[in-house]
Amino acid sequence: MLTLTINGQSREVDVPDDMPLLWALRDHLNLVGTKYGCGIAQCGVCTVHVGGKPVRSCQLAIGDVGTRAVVTIEGVGRTANGAKVQQAWMEVAVPQCGYCQAGQIMSAVALLDSNPNPDDSDIDAAMAGNLCRCGTYIRIRRAIKKAASKSA
Amino acid sequence: MKKIVGSVVAAIVIALAFAGWLFLGRDPMSFAGGSTVALKNYKAGNITGVPTQLASADLVKRGAYLVHAADCQACHTAPGGAPFAGGFAFKLPFGTIYSTNITPDKQTGIGNYTDAQFLSAVHKGIRADGEQLYPVMPYTSYTYMTGDDALAIKAYLFTLVPVHAPAKQNRLLWPFDQRRLLMLWNVMFNQDERFRPNTGRSPQWNRGAYLAEAMGHCGECHTPRNVAYALDNHRKFSGALTAGWRAYNITSDKDSGIGDWSDQDVYLYLSTGHANGHGGAAGPMGEATDDSLSYLVPDDVHALVTYLRSVPAQASDVPRIVTTPAPASYKEGTMANGDVRGQKIFAGACASCHDWTGVSPVTGYATLTGVRAVNDPSAVNVAQAVINGVNRTTAEGKIFMPAFGEGYSNDDIAAVANYVTGRFGAKGAKLTGKDVNDLRKQATR
Repeated sequence: MLTLTINGQSREVDVPDDMPLLWALRDHLNLVGTKYGCGIAQCGVCTVHVGGKPVRSCQLAIGDVGTRAVVTIEGVGRTANGAKVQQAWMEVAVPQCGYCQAGQIMSAVALLDSNPNPDDSDIDAAMAGNLCRCGTYIRIRRAIKKAASKSA
Repeated sequence: MKKIVGSVVAAIVIALAFAGWLFLGRDPMSFAGGSTVALKNYKAGNITGVPTQLASADLVKRGAYLVHAADCQACHTAPGGAPFAGGFAFKLPFGTIYSTNITPDKQTGIGNYTDAQFLSAVHKGIRADGEQLYPVMPYTSYTYMTGDDALAIKAYLFTLVPVHAPAKQNRLLWPFDQRRLLMLWNVMFNQDERFRPNTGRSPQWNRGAYLAEAMGHCGECHTPRNVAYALDNHRKFSGALTAGWRAYNITSDKDSGIGDWSDQDVYLYLSTGHANGHGGAAGPMGEATDDSLSYLVPDDVHALVTYLRSVPAQASDVPRIVTTPAPASYKEGTMANGDVRGQKIFAGACASCHDWTGVSPVTGYATLTGVRAVNDPSAVNVAQAVINGVNRTTAEGKIFMPAFGEGYSNDDIAAVANYVTGRFGAKGAKLTGKDVNDLRKQATR
């Protein structure tokens, strides 16, 4: 039995240590906002925060999470930057099909957590690993800048 | 006239001295000094065969342990092919040699080998029909194996399901396609002598020596070769390029070797293919770990560590490892004004697991900081890992990195390898797309 801190709550889950965190979130903890994409950490859809860093949960073994706090798309709106990013996302109407957006938002929030005023190249460096097949990149960039400009 | 005679004599003396120097480099254990005795006269402990736990196991079980210790499988299995059925390609400067089928198939394997024929192949490099084997089969190492151990291996191999797999035709340039010439080579470079324990060293050291030299044949990759392509033990374990990957310096040199590693780290790396802060095995060393070293009992791995630690330190051409992580922002650090292409590829394909600092938030296996391959300005192993990925199955689960070779061009891979070695290592590489193309051809998988 593993005990994880997920979205501020202590959660217990009885799964093998080498199960990817994404599996445990979706299939055992009913946190299905985080999506499965490529399964090899190359698309960014499954991004969650672990210890404050954006991590691809498809490649993170749950046994390696340790004591680090996990935040998913279900909980990120309760953080200051999470709320700002989600608000900006709605104002800009970023999503098209929406499948990648949970991952996009998690990466965007992590970016603002470490860099409150990112320029274009900062956004490129932080978001390059999050693919969007609908091509919403321009709106993503706009929304990140809008979120950064919002007062806390 | 006198002058000519003098020059000829001088030339002969130099040639003989050179041949003598090559010859003296053939003994992998001469560095230890002291005196050796025949195995039967050594009374300090059992140093050959299986560990105590397996002493009363049947012949086939003992053979299974020794097959792992000698790592027969890695070379006698083609990528994706049946285990021990051969077909693995060795791409050498003078052509390609394929490993052969050592399943007990009577037509295409070793099913008709007698004990004497098997021993002749393992100790002398002579196959059943009397022809010479090429020394890619490491008989110059296996020659130190006891007859009992070799026959236990044979007993295990003979329990395998016979696979019909005819030998692939070697493709060698003249005169290397003339097997008979190896008789001369063997006179120079095969000691054809069983392991002789060193009385000046502990039984643990001797066990380690037996495992490293007679069984695991570490030197076949980690020791540089001389002009005759034999191991040059004057530079024992100081590192070499093998099958398109660099086998690194594993002497105790503090800068270019593993002198700064703790014994426990060396133990962990050998037994699991990974030690935190030192990275993980990939490529041929990943295979050596998964097919061989991970099967050894802890006492045997400790013996290997003891032996490895006794090999004289030798400096080689790789710099001291940088152990400080890179800055969190890509805008800072040594490559901040470097190759934009490499940086862009890193941002998209690599940063999510390896992080801009090089310290992975996902797994210690993906940490780049402190890793020898990243601190190798040739970037050979970084490029190979990018091309081939890492796909290992260990006791702790799967260790995985995607293979990017199919999705990225040679120029892309060169750019990202240069960026990674520059940002996270001691010195950035200067690989070109052509270099990467060559590396693709050298590696077997």
